[in-house]
Amino acid sequence: MSSTPTQPDLVHLTIDGVAVEVPKGTLIVEAAKTVKQEIPVYCYHPKLGPAGLCRVCLVEVEGMPKLQIGCNTPVSDGMVVHTQNAKVDTGRSMILELLLVNHPLDCPICDKGGECDLQDYAMAYGRGSSDVADAKTSKPKGVDLGPTIVLDEERCVVCQRCVRFDDIIAQENQLVLKDRGARDIIATATGEPYRHNFTGNVTEICPVGALTSKTYRFKSRPWDLQRTQTSCTQCAVGCQQMVDVRSGTPLRTMSVESDDAISDGWLCDRGRYNIGFYASPERITQPLYRKDGEFHQIGWDDAFSLWAKAIKSSIAANGAASVGAIGGGRLTNEEAFFLQYLFRALGVENLDWRAGTQRQAGPGASGGTYAELERADAIVIAGESPAERAPVMDLRIRKAVARNGATLIRIAPAEGTPNVACIDVATVAQAIEAMPSGAKRVALVWDGVDLQLGAELAKAASGWAGLRTYVTGEQANARGAETMGMLPREGAMDTLAMFAAAREGRLDVLSLFGVNPVLHASDAAPTRAALERIPFLVVSDLFMTETAAMATLVLPAKGAFEKGGTTTNLTGDVLPVNQSLQAPESALSDFEMLIGLAQHFDEVALPTSEELDERVIGLCAKPPVADGFGAGRYASAAPSRPAPRPSDGLAVVVHSAVFAGGGTSAHDERIASLRPLPHASLGAQDAALYGLQSGDRIDLECDGVLLRDMVVAVRPGMRPGIVALTGGLPGRAANSLSAGARARVVNVRKAAAPVGV
Amino acid sequence: MRKNLYNVGAILKGLSITFAFMFKKKPTIEYPSVKKQHAPRFHGLHELRRYADGKERCIGCELCSSACPANAITVIGAENTPEDRTSPGERHAARYEIDELRCIFCGMCEEACPTDAIVLTPRFEMADYRRGSFIYAKDRLLVPPGAGLGPAPDERPNGIPSDLGRVAEVKSTMDIAQGYSATNRGETLKTQRKGLAP
Amino acid sequence: MPVTKVLTAGIGEVDLRDFTVYRDRGGYKQWERAVRELQPAQVLELADRSGLRGRGGAGFPTGKKWSFLPNDNKPRYLVCNCDEAEPGTFKDHMLLEQTPHLVLEGILLGAYGIASHHAFIYIRGEFKRGFEIFSKALDEARAAGLLGKNIFGTGYDLEVTVHRGAGAYICGEETGLLNSLEGKRGEPRLKPPFPAIAGLYGMPTVVNNVETLAYLVPILEKGAEWFAAVGTERSKGYKIISISGHVRKPGNYEVALGTTVRELIEIAGGLREGRTLKAVQPGGGSSACIFDEHLDWPYDYESMAKAGSMLGSGAFVVFDDTTDFVKCAFNLVRFFAHESCGQCTPCREGGHWLETVLHRFVEGRGLRSDLEMIRRVSSTITGLNLCALGDSIEPFLKSVINRFPEQFEARIDARSLQQNGSPAMAASAR
Repeated sequence: MSSTPTQPDLVHLTIDGVAVEVPKGTLIVEAAKTVKQEIPVYCYHPKLGPAGLCRVCLVEVEGMPKLQIGCNTPVSDGMVVHTQNAKVDTGRSMILELLLVNHPLDCPICDKGGECDLQDYAMAYGRGSSDVADAKTSKPKGVDLGPTIVLDEERCVVCQRCVRFDDIIAQENQLVLKDRGARDIIATATGEPYRHNFTGNVTEICPVGALTSKTYRFKSRPWDLQRTQTSCTQCAVGCQQMVDVRSGTPLRTMSVESDDAISDGWLCDRGRYNIGFYASPERITQPLYRKDGEFHQIGWDDAFSLWAKAIKSSIAANGAASVGAIGGGRLTNEEAFFLQYLFRALGVENLDWRAGTQRQAGPGASGGTYAELERADAIVIAGESPAERAPVMDLRIRKAVARNGATLIRIAPAEGTPNVACIDVATVAQAIEAMPSGAKRVALVWDGVDLQLGAELAKAASGWAGLRTYVTGEQANARGAETMGMLPREGAMDTLAMFAAAREGRLDVLSLFGVNPVLHASDAAPTRAALERIPFLVVSDLFMTETAAMATLVLPAKGAFEKGGTTTNLTGDVLPVNQSLQAPESALSDFEMLIGLAQHFDEVALPTSEELDERVIGLCAKPPVADGFGAGRYASAAPSRPAPRPSDGLAVVVHSAVFAGGGTSAHDERIASLRPLPHASLGAQDAALYGLQSGDRIDLECDGVLLRDMVVAVRPGMRPGIVALTGGLPGRAANSLSAGARARVVNVRKAAAPVGV
Repeated sequence: MRKNLYNVGAILKGLSITFAFMFKKKPTIEYPSVKKQHAPRFHGLHELRRYADGKERCIGCELCSSACPANAITVIGAENTPEDRTSPGERHAARYEIDELRCIFCGMCEEACPTDAIVLTPRFEMADYRRGSFIYAKDRLLVPPGAGLGPAPDERPNGIPSDLGRVAEVKSTMDIAQGYSATNRGETLKTQRKGLAP
Repeated sequence: MPVTKVLTAGIGEVDLRDFTVYRDRGGYKQWERAVRELQPAQVLELADRSGLRGRGGAGFPTGKKWSFLPNDNKPRYLVCNCDEAEPGTFKDHMLLEQTPHLVLEGILLGAYGIASHHAFIYIRGEFKRGFEIFSKALDEARAAGLLGKNIFGTGYDLEVTVHRGAGAYICGEETGLLNSLEGKRGEPRLKPPFPAIAGLYGMPTVVNNVETLAYLVPILEKGAEWFAAVGTERSKGYKIISISGHVRKPGNYEVALGTTVRELIEIAGGLREGRTLKAVQPGGGSSACIFDEHLDWPYDYESMAKAGSMLGSGAFVVFDDTTDFVKCAFNLVRFFAHESCGQCTPCREGGHWLETVLHRFVEGRGLRSDLEMIRRVSSTITGLNLCALGDSIEPFLKSVINRFPEQFEARIDARSLQQNGSPAMAASAR
């Protein structure tokens, strides 16, 4: 458990007659694993520690009169442990018999049946019969615990893993054990729905079928599923996950418990539950070509020749500067590499991965790992916190603060108070003051949006001891795209410059790969204006997004489960993306599209797949570019927008939300209740100033643009003077008010009673 | 002439065997109007049972499909809702299909079923013109609502059916509901044809 | 041996709740002496030498318990356990209601003995009257400068906080009490770490019973030798015994340890006319019964352990020949099952199961196989539990089922086994 790097003292003991040598303080359950002797456990979990509740991990320690629980007995020198003998078996079989006294034994309909620890241990250690002659107590079944979880109280063995997960890991403290004795039940402390970004994990650590996922409920049995390990590509953390597919439908994803380096064995709810879109009927299934203002389905051959013809004629007429491509953050490394390779081979240099607000993905030379983040003495967060952008990374921060005693400092926070203790400061200079004296390892987490802030941070951080930097990105493979060369070189146009050129009619063909700038760019109106002026706009995506709807040519793409490759997470780990699903018939991966396009350019020499892999590996292996936060190469040459008119109002800040509906999660109705409301979040001070309370409906007005029907959320801990809007919500697109602009609160409609947010 | 009569004895001898058989009990029956009595545990076409109150016995647990050595059974579970209570408890089979061409009629599904829902009846005539029509779905497997057997477990204390195993011994609930037994159907038809029975 | 009056001196004669009455009788003199003249270590040494053992149930030597506290600079706490909920015990709330100042002085001395600056008293939720009386006493003592900052000008600070429980037996278990005191769910903690290392708010903590702490006052006054002089070799001093059940004068009697069981029954007025003794439960609901062969045994920790029971909290329940032990056993098991916190499996499920089965016996619907099952389950779960509650189910049950099997067998009904031999159906078909 301890993370001190000192050489631990070794203890010698005997387990089942085998001499074992383990570090001092090791628990018997862990020590037994070294001799491949499994001790059954329910309440004990390596990540949660011992609880001593289930009493099934009984072992006999010579010299101790009673059976000991292996989960809370540390080894000592000369200890002789028996994990299998008659006495131990009697104790274990008693515990299993007791666990089954009130267990409903509805294994045939239980989602856990087939992978249930209670089944397995009852088979391995149970008596096989029971003396129970009385009716079982009945408890509620199918309890709706929250938007994601169903609870079966009868199946619960009260190991409290879920309660402890909520307490120790997620630091949410929502779940509690209520009532007592044989009547005790799991419930939320307040009776409110169980809801946060990590709820799905409790279904996985539940050793029985008490907590099950709504999306997976009664869908399948474990033996029907085909399992593939891959990397989650829904954010830049890069958690390893298992995808379980039944006859072509992804039914669930599970975390990889051994994934200590990245996810620590947990998944966020988006990574876990946002998989329904693969089977959505709203997916684009055919290339679409706009003719006379209407989309027509065309074949791939026609699509490729139209696309190639447009590029060819544009280069011939106006030169390569009139062609551009944006994308890579949602592609694999191989696709991103081939994207820039192909376009550069055609002479096109206008290449960029940035399509939203994020300007930088690389953390510079001092980029750190998650393990280092967890061990930091001080963590400084600038810009948006990772809580919604990189949720599983936020668990590391919670762990560092709550369990390892790190100090959390937030610079000008635009979010409410987190679950763990933090110090809020207004400026970078104050953050330096707030730094605990003697902090040897400092972690700096930045959202990569405001380059000016980044530069300021870089300057300030240069003196911090043991600095480790992290950039939490919007797009899963932003760092990979950057590494693969999807950044404009000197003299070429970046995204903003391309849009500016487009508005002036200087961009003829723009190809977008898996990006939706209309929804995600910091300013919707100029982006829309730019895309409207582009004569030939190509968009590859899974769905008809706001951007795709403006395209000349829409190409149906494959999702991450439907293709293979590698991806680079925000700490720079290159991770495998494995195919677990068959794509709809006529969807192609972006790679296959680019190959199809390249067929029309005889002058381009395509690399063999070995060469391609070699070059991708070579780029991945290169040490990160040393320039740090806010480095010059990320700055835009585009003319800056005129500064917003100073008028009374709140500065608009756009936030991510784990389930913001602009992406794929909008296409799965099962998780509709998880999508965030169009919140306008205010600090407590501003709320008092405007006389608002949580649940009020307001409109926001800014330069004549009206954002209607926003739900007020008062979040204590937010800095005053700002209103934070959830980005990426279609229909209530926060970027229709330009970021940094000042919005006025109009048309207040009071809620009957303040509601929780 | 004598020479011609020489073979009469042999012919008569041969015919005597034939004539002898004429007076023996005939093994052939007039199928399909007359059918053979099957062994009591004959494995024929499946039926999916109901409880007496009309609820389906099947809970969609897929144990039959995992026990099936021929991979002939497909089950997709779904949740019972208060508006649509298909079976007792929480889960029912939204889809239940048996590919009778794949089926080897071994009866493992019947053995595996925890609620005696799937039972092999003595019915065996499934001839058809298309392969697709051998995939029996719930519309053909499920017995009519009136043909249920046994009280549903939510009427019983503890929720555990006490008549497990015994319901499966009843060979065909569908036939009971329709007033005859499949096994003896042939006999019934025969007597009807002879005008001996209504 | 006669009834002695040490802690109970003056009760029923004068109003010890009155601050001045208590002071005039020499109250708080020992507290003043301790703070002014003695070092904490000397108080600890006195407690150790007196042989005082915990009066709450476990009988752990008090001085030894205190000496487990680590020598570090962390704050340390004394918690006085006044969650007296053991069936048959009613001594603590008598002390609390009758002589609150003695209880307070004991707490102060105990806190001084471990050099703590903050003591807590956890009063059972049902003791509303005791809580009010004690709170008033505390206010008076505070007003008189007996606690607070810079006591008697010595620079020693000590604060006492009163906390009222919400009525759960399990909060009498020391770690359950600490959880409850911290505002958490009252359920025992996993040990180790023990409270002496990480107790209240993670700090070194000593939890002592009301009576244990109260005895510190006479020990300081009359010396450790005076206390150690009475009692038996390893069970020294006096003890308030709560005698109840089939005796003519049930009540609290303070006696020297080692008084025989027969004497205790006589002290309480003896059995009713014409009745014979069947059993005595000598140490509260968690203890096994002793029987007439133990009548002349001394009532002390060792002898009771030797008799297969325990002295516990000194709740002495007498059963005569009118007792229905099936009902008794059911009642106690129901109590433990009801009070189980539900954390650990053996106590939660085992207690519930035994309760259900015994309920059937009470109704005369027992099965012959149940007797074996009760023995097997109750003995197997003992020793597997997280705290002592689960281990408390067996002793009484086992002792009466072994001693009076005929009472249980009389409740067996063969008809319970009708219907396919499935007892489940029989049980629910009623």
